[in-house]
Amino acid sequence: MLGRLYDLTWRRVRHLGAVVLLGQAITVRLFTPPWSVRDMVRQLDVMGVKSTNLASVIALFTGMVLSLQTAYTLAAFGAKLYIGEVVGLSLVRELGPVLTALMVGGRVGAGITAELGSMTVSEQVEAMRSLGADPLRKLVVPRMVALLIGLPLLVVLADVMGIFGGLLISTWELGLTPSFYFGHTLRLMTYGDFFSGLGKSVFFAFAIGLVASYNGLCARGGADGVGKATTDTVVGVAITVLVLDFFLTKLFLAL
Amino acid sequence: MSERSPRTLSVRQLRKAFGSHQVLDGVSLDVAPGETVVVLGGSGEGKSVFLKHINGLLQPDSGEVEVLGCPVSHLDEDALVELRRRVSYIFQQAALFDSLTVGENVAFPLQEHTRLDEAEVAARVATLLDRVGLGGTERLSPAELSGGMRKRVALARGLALDPEVILYDEPTAGLDPLTGLAIVALIKEVTRGTGATSLVVTHDLAVARELADRVAFLARGTFAFTGALAEAARQEGAVGAFVRAGGVYG
Repeated sequence: MLGRLYDLTWRRVRHLGAVVLLGQAITVRLFTPPWSVRDMVRQLDVMGVKSTNLASVIALFTGMVLSLQTAYTLAAFGAKLYIGEVVGLSLVRELGPVLTALMVGGRVGAGITAELGSMTVSEQVEAMRSLGADPLRKLVVPRMVALLIGLPLLVVLADVMGIFGGLLISTWELGLTPSFYFGHTLRLMTYGDFFSGLGKSVFFAFAIGLVASYNGLCARGGADGVGKATTDTVVGVAITVLVLDFFLTKLFLAL
Repeated sequence: MSERSPRTLSVRQLRKAFGSHQVLDGVSLDVAPGETVVVLGGSGEGKSVFLKHINGLLQPDSGEVEVLGCPVSHLDEDALVELRRRVSYIFQQAALFDSLTVGENVAFPLQEHTRLDEAEVAARVATLLDRVGLGGTERLSPAELSGGMRKRVALARGLALDPEVILYDEPTAGLDPLTGLAIVALIKEVTRGTGATSLVVTHDLAVARELADRVAFLARGTFAFTGALAEAARQEGAVGAFVRAGGVYG
C-alpha cells in the first residue's frame, strides 16, 4: 500500500518536473528566432477566430443570467439600480476571463492534444526530429503564440458580449434605460479591473498551451492513448485554470 | 567532432532498458562505407530501438554509437541536427506529415536545411518524386495515398538532402508482396545510385535476400549472428530456425 502510494507520488512529481521543463523550453523558443509567422497566423485563425462564436454565446448568456440573478438578489435590499456595477465588475474581473478560458481552453486544448497526440503515436514527431527540425519550434510555439494572442482578444470580446447581455435584461426585464445601465457599469470600473482580467487570460493561455502540448507529446499507444490524453487535457485545463485563477486573483488584489 | 573513421557506423556494447525490460543488452556492430546490413529478428526484439540509436532519436543507457565519425551519444542538439542532415531515417509507417501535401512533405527537409528558393525547391521535389515513380503527385494529401505510395514519398523525403547513411525501419511492413518487392527494388536502385550506406531493419527475409551484403540477427538483446544470409540458414538454434522458417533457404 505504502509502496504504491510512493510510486504514485513519485510519478506525479516526475510529470510535474517534465511539465516545468517543457514550459521552460517553450518559453526560450518563444523569445528566440526563427519563428514561423505563417504557422502562427494559421493557428490564430484555427484557435482564435473559430472560437469567437463559442466565446460570444457563452458570455452573452452569462451576462443575461448574471443580470437576472443579481437583480433578484439586489431587489431584497432595494438596490436593483446597482445592477450595472455588479454585472460589469463581475464580468471584467472574473467571469469573462475564467469562463472564456474554461470553454475555449477545453475546445482548443483538446484540439492541440489530439493533433499532437496523433502525430506522436504515428511517429510524425520523431520523423520531424529525424529530419533535423525542432518539434517544439515547429508545432508547439505557433500554437502557444496563437493562444497568447487569441485568448486575451476573446476575453475582451466576452467582456463586451457579457455586458451587452446584461443590458438586454436590464432594459427588457427591469425597465432601465441603456444610458443608465452603461453609466452605472462604467461608474466604478477602472482600467485596473479591465487589465487584471486581461492579465489573467495571458497566464491562462500559457497554462492551456502547456498542459495540452505536454499531454499530446506524451501520448502513447494509438487511438486509445490519444483519447486518454485528450480527456486528461480537458480535465487538466479546467483544474489548472481554476486553481491558477485563485492565486492570480490574490496576486492582482495585492498589487 | 572526432577524426574520420574507416567505418561509417560503429556500435559498441549498446545497452538500453525501458523500465525493468532490458531491450538491448550489449549490442555491437560495424558497417563499412557503402555496405548494406540487414538487421533481422522477431517482433519485439528491439530492432527499431536499435535503429533509433543510430541517429540519436534514442539515447543509450550505456555503450557507444559512432556514425560518420561522430559520437552520437555525446552530441548536443545542434550537432545532432547536423548529423541528421547526413543520416536519413525511413519510418515503418512512413510518418508523413498529415497536415502537409506530398510536395510539402518532400520539400520539408530542403526548406529546413537549405537556402534554395521556392522554384528550386519545387524543381528538386519534382525530381525526387519522379525518381520514386510518383511524379505529379505534389498536390495530393498523404491520406489519399496507398501504403506503398506513402513509403515511396517517405523515401523521396529521406533522399532530399543526399544522405550518406539511410536507415530503413521495416520498409515492407503492411504491404502486399508485390508492392513490397517494388519497394525493395526501389531501395536497391537508390542504394546503387547514391552509394549510401544502408541499415535495414526487417523481419522479412525476402528483403534480406534482395538487399543484404550482410545480415545481423538480433535476439535477446544481442546480435546472435552476423554474416551472410546463406550462412545464417546453416546456423543451429534460433538464427537458423528463423531463416529457414522464412523459406528463403530451406
